[in-house]
Amino acid sequence: MKSRKIYNRINILRKERGLSRKELAEKIGVNFQTVGYLEREEYSPSLDLAFRISEFFGMPIELIFSTQPLRPLSEELMRLKKGE
Amino acid sequence: MNNNATKQRLNLAVNYLSIVLILVIFYIVRNSDIPKLYLLLEIIPIIMVIVSFINVFGKTGFWKLAHPHKDELDERELLLVYKVTSMSYGIFSTVTLTVIYCYALFLKGPIDVVLAAVLLYFAHTLPAAIIACRKKMV
Repeated sequence: MKSRKIYNRINILRKERGLSRKELAEKIGVNFQTVGYLEREEYSPSLDLAFRISEFFGMPIELIFSTQPLRPLSEELMRLKKGE
Repeated sequence: MNNNATKQRLNLAVNYLSIVLILVIFYIVRNSDIPKLYLLLEIIPIIMVIVSFINVFGKTGFWKLAHPHKDELDERELLLVYKVTSMSYGIFSTVTLTVIYCYALFLKGPIDVVLAAVLLYFAHTLPAAIIACRKKMV
């Protein structure tokens, strides 16, 4: 079975925390080129790496990764606010 | 990015063509009445091999990627090295079998040391060469 494309919010989360790709790479235990590939969605992480990323950002995996294109965070926030 | 990729492929072509040129000069001098001194002509392609090797494998880091120390690679790089090594195996086997077959058909003799050395060089550089040729790294 062909693997599906995995979408992610790594780029925006990294920028929110003011980290460079190299700094993020050191935190999650990969080489900085791999962070670039992850952000461009040209590489899908293993489960272990996905969990490490999730633990580093302190967010559930499903808010960082998805098999469907992700909505902008601002839309997600508005959706959550309306749901309150 | 495209400029770099083109440069890498060009350097790779220069590298392998220079190796072929070394072989050609060797066989011409060996199988003809040309003085052995003409083997000194091989110095030019040897220099081209060294320079292009540094440009395509050394400066880019592809050699280190294809020949890593233990635990140096992350999961993406390990996957890449696995893929290129598999491809290299297929390519090298095909090329070597073709060369051996041609030798047996047309030259009717054992493969000499120089050709064996060239095949060994080809085998050793092939994984890094495939990485240099690929547009995307994964």
